Amino acid sequence: MISGYEGTSPERDLEFLKVLGEKLSGRSVLNVNSTKSGGGVAELLNRIVPMLGELGLDARWEVIRGDADFFDMTKKLHNSLQGNREHITYEMWEHYYQVNRRNAERLDLKADFVFVHDPQPLPLIKNPKREGTWIWRCHIDMSSPQKNALRRVSTLSRLYDAAVFSVAGFAMQMPMPEYIVLPSIDPLSEKNRELSAEEIFAVAARFGIPQDRPVLLQVSRFDRFKDPIGVIKTYRLVKKYNDCILVLAGSPATDDPEGARVLEEVKEFAKGDPDIKILLLPPFSDKEINALQRMAAIVFQKSLREGFGLTVSEAMWKGKPVIGGAVGGIPYQIINGMTGFLIYSVEGAAFRARQLLNNEDMLRRMGEQAMEHVRNNFLITRQLRDYLSVLVSLENREKTLIELV
Amino acid sequence: MDQARLVPDDPVFDFRQCMKLLKSTGKKASSLNELMRLIRVASDNSIYHHTHEYFFRGRILEYTNDFARWVGENLEAHVLAENLSVIDPFRHGSIASLRDELLNKIEAYIKKFPSPGKVFSPGEEFFFQETVTFVFPTEYSASSLEEFVEALKKVDDSSIYWHFYEGRVRVEGGVNDFSNWVGDSLGLGGLSDQISSIDPFMHSIGSIREQITGYCARELEKGKKEGAAV
Repeated sequence: MISGYEGTSPERDLEFLKVLGEKLSGRSVLNVNSTKSGGGVAELLNRIVPMLGELGLDARWEVIRGDADFFDMTKKLHNSLQGNREHITYEMWEHYYQVNRRNAERLDLKADFVFVHDPQPLPLIKNPKREGTWIWRCHIDMSSPQKNALRRVSTLSRLYDAAVFSVAGFAMQMPMPEYIVLPSIDPLSEKNRELSAEEIFAVAARFGIPQDRPVLLQVSRFDRFKDPIGVIKTYRLVKKYNDCILVLAGSPATDDPEGARVLEEVKEFAKGDPDIKILLLPPFSDKEINALQRMAAIVFQKSLREGFGLTVSEAMWKGKPVIGGAVGGIPYQIINGMTGFLIYSVEGAAFRARQLLNNEDMLRRMGEQAMEHVRNNFLITRQLRDYLSVLVSLENREKTLIELV
Repeated sequence: MDQARLVPDDPVFDFRQCMKLLKSTGKKASSLNELMRLIRVASDNSIYHHTHEYFFRGRILEYTNDFARWVGENLEAHVLAENLSVIDPFRHGSIASLRDELLNKIEAYIKKFPSPGKVFSPGEEFFFQETVTFVFPTEYSASSLEEFVEALKKVDDSSIYWHFYEGRVRVEGGVNDFSNWVGDSLGLGGLSDQISSIDPFMHSIGSIREQITGYCARELEKGKKEGAAV
């Protein structure tokens, strides 16, 4: 499996994985989360758990079970930690703890290292039979959480031996070591693998996207924070100078009642322009998204608020410069003026798009630099490398320099 | 800070490479006054990360350290950003003196502009981080200038960073590993000085690689001509 990344991932990362694997050989690593499929965490674990095994570690993955009330509560908790107002009752908290107690009895949680992903299984730390080093891997943005939810989560997370956050801005101040591991994309997945010209044309034909003019694209949920109306305004400013097509592609947000309203507003705003294509893609339309990103000349991620925004890296990996809002994780991915542009307004986005459309060399160069930036920083092999480094670091807590021979 | 030394007159140069694992300190500043307060108490490792290690990330466009970048981009205090950007961390013998220079420049700016900017949006603060450095061998080593230049063309950027930038801090004297080895083990003082004279501020890691290989190629050419003349 890891050999599949040779020639794609940096040689350095693959060599480092081997060295770290030898260092940690035979250690048991358990990952615990709340779903086997669907969502970024399950997608990641599906890939990295077998890779850990291949590197010589004894890797396992356990999934907690819960009823509808439990998942309803954890959804509220998730939203609340991300800053939304949610009402979580005392009974709901009690149920959350109880479900986790039952899971602690049912699951085999013995391992040298235990990664607990996100808040759903967080109370497993209270398991009295706990052994080994426990690490809370928080994937969500906790930069402006609701106080009550944070207080409860903080009480639990402080019991862990270490925590891992996606960026420093998502972390909170805690007494144990806190590591930063940036998210990543899998270059071999259906969403990111190479596609043939025929495969790309087939998707363009299916959605009726003309290929005679440059395509501007934004892939995102129909959510106000992704500013789809702003993207249409941007396109209209560009269109005055450069004939182009705009594609807005996104999946319906089933957990967001406002999503349908935003979609209607977007359709209404785009009405009458045959060069704007609004695509509502079913979940798991990975190949279609891949093809759209590959056929685009420029990709937007004009978010007003964002988590990490991995769609930016996905587009960059396909050699596309991305014009993105300077929010959330986007500035970590776009080096302004080098791998794309960071913008703060519709006008700024339009100006940068025109600049790229009128300068083929710049478009190509930035696209190439974008791809290399992702290769060096945002591929799954780097994320796996960082996870293993966290384990080695925890075995050498006082050291700031670790020499691996 | 931990030290890792190369044996200065080792006949073989073993190329090593490195990676950095980031740690959050949980401390963040949203104004210049807070930045100053936190720079005063930040660990040496954190100051080192936000200054020296900036060069590892290859983002040297306008700024040369994280403090300057944040002050310029987030507080839009451009004069201070420029003042902070000219600080050369490699010219400081200790983190304490580097820390003093950072504080002095910020303090002087605040005296001149008593109401400096502030960021209000979560996520735009300055986040103090630390790193754990991992060093491990590459497959490349050299015992002659020919082997050295061939390896230099192939090693990862992190190897150039480790030997050229961090070498200056690790080994007493502020000289990079390449210069030390070329001078001490190969006896090529002139080439050693040429490599030392490359300004780390003005070049990306890629261009440092090109310059060193260029100097080495010229040295080899010179050697061939002198050999032929004899």
